[in-house]
Amino acid sequence: MSVIDLSKLPFPENDLKSFLDQVCEANELDYAAYAGINPIAQTVHGFVNYPDEWQTLYVDQGFQNRDPALLAASRSIAPVDWQRLRGEQSFKSIFRAAHDFGISEQGMTIPVRGPYGDMGMFSVTRDCPDEEWRLLKRKVLGELQTAAVHLHDHVISSQALTRVLHHPALSKREIEILQWIAAGKTQQDVADILTISNRTVEVHLRSGRSKLGALTTSQAVGRAIGLGLIHPL
Amino acid sequence: MILVVDGLNRHRYTKLLDQMFELRARVFRDRLGWDVKVEDGKEIDEFDALDPAYILGLNDEGRVVACVRALQTTGPHMLSDVFSAILDGEPPLRSATIWESTRFCVDTDVLDRGTSRHSVSFATCELMVGALEYSRDAGITDIVTVIDPIMNRVLKRSDCAPYDYLGSTTPMGKTSAMAALLDCTDERIDRVRAFAGIEGDVFADAETEAALADDAPAQGGGADMGSLFDLVQAQPEPQPTELEQYCLDQVAAAETDEERDAARRLAAELCRAGMVSDRALAAINC
Repeated sequence: MSVIDLSKLPFPENDLKSFLDQVCEANELDYAAYAGINPIAQTVHGFVNYPDEWQTLYVDQGFQNRDPALLAASRSIAPVDWQRLRGEQSFKSIFRAAHDFGISEQGMTIPVRGPYGDMGMFSVTRDCPDEEWRLLKRKVLGELQTAAVHLHDHVISSQALTRVLHHPALSKREIEILQWIAAGKTQQDVADILTISNRTVEVHLRSGRSKLGALTTSQAVGRAIGLGLIHPL
Repeated sequence: MILVVDGLNRHRYTKLLDQMFELRARVFRDRLGWDVKVEDGKEIDEFDALDPAYILGLNDEGRVVACVRALQTTGPHMLSDVFSAILDGEPPLRSATIWESTRFCVDTDVLDRGTSRHSVSFATCELMVGALEYSRDAGITDIVTVIDPIMNRVLKRSDCAPYDYLGSTTPMGKTSAMAALLDCTDERIDRVRAFAGIEGDVFADAETEAALADDAPAQGGGADMGSLFDLVQAQPEPQPTELEQYCLDQVAAAETDEERDAARRLAAELCRAGMVSDRALAAINC
């Protein structure tokens, strides 16, 4: 099985590799990588912003098939810190090689599970001491979870077969809230109007953004209007 | 004490997992009368095959006295499937930072009333602290949890009241079920800890983890994790049957929400009749 470099494929309006760069930049990380398994198409997809020489070696050696970080994450619902894998022989052999290319063994892999048995593994790394890593992780994990799902959804829905299956199923509540936001109301306004808590509005907005493949609420509003779910005012 | 068992370490804790499945059978079939599958005294469903995370509460003898199961809301989970009635047929929440928790229960046969370390109240609080901290440390901000009214009352009494509910309370077996929202904030965790007088780390340390394993101590080696290629091969996506494909086509071809709802209702009906697989239904409902 080969790794398909999505960064070299045409992705309308989405440059996935520059997305990785942005995630690294915003979250104080050195490198990021994504690997996705689509059981319907029986493929593994991957793209990274690692140095080119390391990418080449990784693929030539077929590391994607025995990378313990990917294997472990695929069986976990929580992000897997690579510290948990340091005892594994396969981890040692891959990271001895990675080290020569300036890639740190300080990192983690965030698993994403999609609705069709599809899975994505989003890995990030940063060369720093354990304590600094612990603090950074705590600060950026929520952001990285969101980025991981966003990336995965885009990759999966870029494939013809899964695109057919995919259409956003928003609940009445999610649509209602997006409609109020489109009308210029703040999150707190919406909470007051619907007599629910601000946090309830927040979880519905977050869910709406995820279903619409949007990273921001204004993107979500734009897409919801485009799909005819809500009306522009 | 809390132990987290997931797809990575479950091969080492088969005995504890069996205790958990037995506890679930006693609670959900016997006490609550829910329509769950019990085989050989163990309640196990299709979601247990999806490598969920189990947060287990153990007493001083190392016996499972409380448990809950967590799944990501981005993938297949109970509210997108068997519990959809609770949401009045509405699609469930889906977010990278929201997990679903189900099969939340404590062992009332072993635990007593009151507030000691051996009480139902303490075990519930400790499990909540474990589940909330495990989620928080994974970058999760909120949990949607399916509970029965008794568990809801226990949460309220433990200063851990849900901040909201989704859908409606739905009759289920001898009781009913509801979907409650809990935030995984430090404020909530501190409140529950203060209520039950829980201080320090609730999670088992590495040494205890090793001692609790089936054939302790099994060090080194690690599981044979195979390869990613095996993983793809091991999960051959069954091709949709003609009927399942028909349902998928109907949903894809729907031009209005009504048409889509009707197509989904049909698929749900066929699924109940065993003519459409749960997996296909999940795809249809996404």
